[in-house]
Amino acid sequence: KKKVHHFILLRIQEYSVETAIATVVDGDSKLKIDTQHLRDLSFRTGSIFQFIGELLIHPDNEAVLQARVGRNVDGIDLNLYHQSLQLLRQFQADHIRA
Amino acid sequence: MPPNLHNTHVKLLAFDLLSLTQTPNPHSSSSDTISFSRRGSPLSRVEILGTVTFRDSKPGKFLKFSIDDGTGCVPCILWLNHMTSPYFSRRRPQDVRLIAHVASDFASLIKIGTVARVRGRVTGYRGSVQVTVSDVVIERDPNVETLHWLDCMRLARKCYDPLPHRK
Repeated sequence: KKKVHHFILLRIQEYSVETAIATVVDGDSKLKIDTQHLRDLSFRTGSIFQFIGELLIHPDNEAVLQARVGRNVDGIDLNLYHQSLQLLRQFQADHIRA
Repeated sequence: MPPNLHNTHVKLLAFDLLSLTQTPNPHSSSSDTISFSRRGSPLSRVEILGTVTFRDSKPGKFLKFSIDDGTGCVPCILWLNHMTSPYFSRRRPQDVRLIAHVASDFASLIKIGTVARVRGRVTGYRGSVQVTVSDVVIERDPNVETLHWLDCMRLARKCYDPLPHRK
């Protein structure tokens, strides 16, 4: 299955140069990001990154985000982001109903 | 009476822009055959902000790119054909060179992964909405996308949405 996502991630927990796979965490959740198509990005563990890409579900049900776009967003206000995202989804739902 | 949104760059989220109502314009020049409106309010200019996720350049002709703000993906076109276009043939050559230079600078700013604030006219292409770009600013603040969402929502509720009918 493929689905386009727009992600903000809490932090990069680990990064493998050999596989170009970054593991990111959000609370108890983890996700793998395939960064092989990204250029001019240095992945520091502990930094917050935003990725846009396609979510691929492998046959073993493992999900990997194949990133097309990525950027370092250190300095982002995560509380503001999450609260605004909730408002945004409500705004979109209200707009569709109207 | 719906608010007058003409001659202002309306700040819109991508999903809102992409769902504008298109109306054929019977009394129009060839470049304005379609009119756009949002909940009954005609508009012609917009401001969007998001990440550049697609870029297709035809040097000397145009740059097509897409802006993704998390609610949708807006196709944009930046014309680069000023020196050969008949549309500019009657203008002073030095003015056309200046306009072309500015457009070329904008094109060089648009790179995959950058966050761009784009202003332009709402136009139609093959039945879909797009933005014909007039201005580009690259944003580097990591909070700018969040603040743009909040701006768009606030302006929609306070300024752009029609007033509810009073009973």
